[in-house]
Amino acid sequence: MKKCLAIISVAMLIVILTACSSDDAPSNNASGDWEPEKAIEMVAPAGAGGGWDTTARMATKVFNEAGIIEEDIGVVNKPGGGGAVGWAYVAGFDGSNHNLFVASPPIILVPLNGQSEYGYDDFTPLANVIADYGAFAVRADAPWDSLNDLFEDMKEDPESIAVVGTSSPGSMDHIQFVQIAKAAGVDVTKIKYVTDPDGVGLTQLLNGSVEVFSTGVAETVEQVKAGTIKVLGITAEERLTGETLKDFPTAIEQGIDASFVNWRGFFGPPNMDEAAIAYYEKKFKELSDSEEFGAIRDQYGWDEMYMDSAEYKAFLDEQYETIGALLDELGLGQ
Amino acid sequence: MGSIEGILSGFQVALSLEGILFVLIGVLVGTFIGMLPGLGPISAIAVMIPITFGMDPAPALVMMAGVYYGAIFGGSTSSILLNAPGVSGTVATAFDGYPMAQQGKAGKALAIAAISSFVGGTVSVILLMLFAPMLSSVAISFDPPAYFALMFLGLTAITSLSEGSTIKALISAVIGFMVVTIGIDPQTGTQRFTFGNVNLLEGLDFLVIALGLFALAEVCTLIINRKDLYFENKRKIGSLKITKDEFKEMRGPMTRQSFLGFLLGVLPGAGATIASFIGYITEKRISKNPEEFGRGSIKGLAAPETANNAATSGAFVPLLSLGIPGSGTTAVMLGAFLVLNVQPGPLLMTDRPEIFWGIIASMYIGNVFLLILNLPLIPYISKILKIPRPLLISLVIMFSIIGVYAISFNTFDLYMLLLFGVVGFLMRLFSFPAPPFILAFILGGMMEQAFRQSLTISNGNYMIFVESPIAISLLIVGFLSFLFPIVGHYRRKRKGIQ
Repeated sequence: MKKCLAIISVAMLIVILTACSSDDAPSNNASGDWEPEKAIEMVAPAGAGGGWDTTARMATKVFNEAGIIEEDIGVVNKPGGGGAVGWAYVAGFDGSNHNLFVASPPIILVPLNGQSEYGYDDFTPLANVIADYGAFAVRADAPWDSLNDLFEDMKEDPESIAVVGTSSPGSMDHIQFVQIAKAAGVDVTKIKYVTDPDGVGLTQLLNGSVEVFSTGVAETVEQVKAGTIKVLGITAEERLTGETLKDFPTAIEQGIDASFVNWRGFFGPPNMDEAAIAYYEKKFKELSDSEEFGAIRDQYGWDEMYMDSAEYKAFLDEQYETIGALLDELGLGQ
Repeated sequence: MGSIEGILSGFQVALSLEGILFVLIGVLVGTFIGMLPGLGPISAIAVMIPITFGMDPAPALVMMAGVYYGAIFGGSTSSILLNAPGVSGTVATAFDGYPMAQQGKAGKALAIAAISSFVGGTVSVILLMLFAPMLSSVAISFDPPAYFALMFLGLTAITSLSEGSTIKALISAVIGFMVVTIGIDPQTGTQRFTFGNVNLLEGLDFLVIALGLFALAEVCTLIINRKDLYFENKRKIGSLKITKDEFKEMRGPMTRQSFLGFLLGVLPGAGATIASFIGYITEKRISKNPEEFGRGSIKGLAAPETANNAATSGAFVPLLSLGIPGSGTTAVMLGAFLVLNVQPGPLLMTDRPEIFWGIIASMYIGNVFLLILNLPLIPYISKILKIPRPLLISLVIMFSIIGVYAISFNTFDLYMLLLFGVVGFLMRLFSFPAPPFILAFILGGMMEQAFRQSLTISNGNYMIFVESPIAISLLIVGFLSFLFPIVGHYRRKRKGIQ
């Protein structure tokens, strides 16, 4: 039922959008005219300093400094429950056009793990803006030189290799590893996964407690430069650009046909007006194309990945299917 | 040698007019926010992050570091004066600091806290400067079994934190353990004791428990006993002067805890809280008059205050040299680094020596500033105690509420605060000690995680705890320290009979 609605709304959206673009006369239809009437609130469903917070703050900074949006945008942190607290908060603004939040794969994963009553399909996807990728690192002196070496050993003796991540099983660090390992033919139910919620997964890798560290690409760069760890593979489709990053092999080039994107974009509350959606889509496109935001992407090692509302929605539906199936296989789906 | 040049460039940053100014701003903001009950370094740093946007990274980070240790420095004030610890690192400070203030020696208590903080901070910065490059290997030396053993050692403090009934202390600790399991279990992603409530998914924050059990429970007691205390309204603050004998008493704990605290701070995840508790119990253990602890002992105040400040500098080792945040606060600090486009890690020292050494060098100056700022302020700050009691009580309640609300701007936390205030009051009525509860709450979460990580890694083999040399030595010390008070108690009893 939900899916049916989703398809209808996407279809409607496309109709409206094409209607807008094919209309040659400038802004004589109501739907393209919406402008924010008051300050916009941007929720980062996590504490200050994390990935969501940084994305939200950087986006608002460019919006205001580059004059893309005139109204003030305030970032509000709503930490808790891996996002669930923030989502419940935004869901309370049903129909509002002035409340946004930043989102990434946890909005699919957390509800699938049964930890949030609100999921991506309860909200209005506005636009995706950036992509980040996962990396699998081992100690510099580890016996493996490629993902295939590692996965061969995992197939033979799954008990001998432990993988550490910052988030719990069923969430990003775990799933990105499982997705690649599964494509390589590893029995994913036997993967030994340890969570280090205090963010000291790297310590455990360096002191030899665990063998593999599943994390974000950016987190590995300094250690790789210092020669303490090596990255066996990343989850991107193609090699990244930039110093050090360009040396990281993808899983795909190692013959493992799988990838995982840590996409980051922006959502609105349920039932946002079509006109407002069109407005934000346009503004996020401007943001994504701006020089200022390009510099920020380079600074944080993010990739550009713009999707408008309809593309975003379709992408999310597909992600939901894939990851849901994976979690079921792991026995984690709810 | 490259590092001498580096150190010099660090002093260049720290001693420039800009450097000095930003250190001053940092420690001022930090110490004031830290002084407010309920607000600690996390809130202080979070407040400052947006301000540093677009600033030069070196002065900005020097300032942020100042905010961090300034908040720990100032955090002792509300523990001592109001029994309202705003940072987990200053819970142990309240054990002897608050009784001392109650005895009319608030001025002295604050002076002791300031001086031991200064000593702990300064000695540890010297250690940091001399050994930072080498210490990164110490920071990663602890594997999960070793962490489990360290937490176990910390928990043995329960037996020595309890006056009176050991059984009641253990019951209190068990409840603390149970409360810390609330939320999503990180190892499995399963919800525990959340009753489907989204607000409980993240578990309860330390502040909710600490302010409930200590501050609000104290407020309730004051209200109940209002008649007895009414005429004692004009509380003495006493002299700030520390006599020679008193200073002699402080010297031992200050020296020992500067080193021990620093070392514990270097371990990611251990940090100021564990350092302050372990500092407190080691001093109690080796003291000739352990019965003074908990009743306003000078050693009992100097030890945790030295240790928590020393640990704060220690925490910069994994942060700067490995890019590993060891605690919630240093995680926010790491965020502050990234916002300024500085990546802490093994290359920071060679790539950006002015930042690496600038932060360390600025900490000398920061600590001097803190001492100069704090000592003259003591008579004014301790005037808080002269505020008429009804007003003071309302202020404590207000600040507790602000502190808890500031965690995540969620009113649910406030109901939890009230609940734990009531729990704390009932515990007092039936003389269940609160310190074991809070200790189990602080250490229990990490202890459980480390235990289960160890077993996952070893495929369920318990031998992992005895195979690691660090773990086994800590476990032995832990067992001895657990048995020691019990045996001592038994021996004293026998002597009494004879």
